[in-house]
Amino acid sequence: MSLKILTVDDSKTIRMIVKKAFRPYDCEFFEGEDGAKGLVLAAQEKPDLIVLDITMPVMNGIEMLSKMKNEPGLKDIPVIMLTAESGKDNVMQIVKMGVKDYMVKPFKGEQLIERAKNIVKLEPKKTEEAADEPSKKYFSLDGDIQVLVLQEKATRQVAAQVEVYLQSKIKDMIKSGMNKFILDLSKVPEINMSLIKLIMLVIQNCRKANFSIQVVGTTDLSNELKQFQETSEIPIDNTVEEAKTALRQ
Amino acid sequence: MKDANDLIENVLCLVELTNQGEDYMNEINSLDLKGFAINAVNSVFDMMLSLEVEISDADSQAVVDVNKIVGSVSFAGDVMGSISIQVGGDFAILMTAAMLGMELEEVDGEEVSDVIGELSNMIGGDLKSRLCDSGFPCQLSIPSVTSGSDFKIESRGWIKHECFTFCHQQHTAMVEVFIKSGG
Repeated sequence: MSLKILTVDDSKTIRMIVKKAFRPYDCEFFEGEDGAKGLVLAAQEKPDLIVLDITMPVMNGIEMLSKMKNEPGLKDIPVIMLTAESGKDNVMQIVKMGVKDYMVKPFKGEQLIERAKNIVKLEPKKTEEAADEPSKKYFSLDGDIQVLVLQEKATRQVAAQVEVYLQSKIKDMIKSGMNKFILDLSKVPEINMSLIKLIMLVIQNCRKANFSIQVVGTTDLSNELKQFQETSEIPIDNTVEEAKTALRQ
Repeated sequence: MKDANDLIENVLCLVELTNQGEDYMNEINSLDLKGFAINAVNSVFDMMLSLEVEISDADSQAVVDVNKIVGSVSFAGDVMGSISIQVGGDFAILMTAAMLGMELEEVDGEEVSDVIGELSNMIGGDLKSRLCDSGFPCQLSIPSVTSGSDFKIESRGWIKHECFTFCHQQHTAMVEVFIKSGG
């Protein structure tokens, strides 16, 4: 069963950073933007862990925590306090309130996970969920050809995800004696720097592994790629069939 | 005779208070605000944005873009004051993208405001902690964010006002601190 994590912070930025930190783990996520909403969510969901900011409008984290400590159903829920203030008095006050741990902002997601692991058992998402699914979203086999299809805008996250799966696909290809690769960009809605970097990454890795690679894209995409120094020399096929023919010649 | 003694006592009291006030102002003036600000800004940019910044001697008012955004927090207690971070619109977008792991073109105005507010909260929180540890207990406000193209921040009656400019590539961030005695 997934762990329930509740983050209470008036800053959407911090809520996003916390959520991102827990993403690789099997967690269900709940968010409140002040202590009052946090209390309601805590009572409804009975989370396994609360990541609680101190300075918030409506009801601050200290007040929310003291109200939780007076509620028999909520008093034992472990809390990690987030605070922008590292002063001795502030830290002493937090510790006295019976929180499990506290983090001083600025902090990195990994640091929060380290602290959380001391309190709750974080299980990585199941392999099929974490590895297989995203990989199938981008990679497929067409006979003896490995095809990488991008169907969405290449954000940093998408590029990072593809890079992870690319390395394991290349290893699999080498093991099974495959050496043909198609990068299909015909459905990519627009070009940005993440896409350019991703194209270069795929081409360089394929060349390093001595694979033959063909890139597929629309005429517009082909013209746009010619504007960038890094991709100006790359030949683009208009269809996957054209690319396959080129690879088999 | 009693009146004369009272008067002398009052004068002595006033002198003592004046001396205490001067000591207090000297203590505030001796605070290493530059060191506090450099540590706070470097730590926040490095930890949250993975961006390197360097303190610069450039004229801070002149280097910030026309479109700018200011995040500030106030503190009140034995000392009162505020700390603000002011950046140009382009730098604000770059900082937001870095903090949220997004592309520049994905960033929207609400996210920029939230990130600048949170960064000012972290920088202000660090300064507040150092003030408390230096014997000036105070409380921190929630951050406020202002953006626009034609405005100037002006504050009066402060004992200490310092302004520092930090650079990342062609971008600049101006950090301003105002302090006066509290109570």
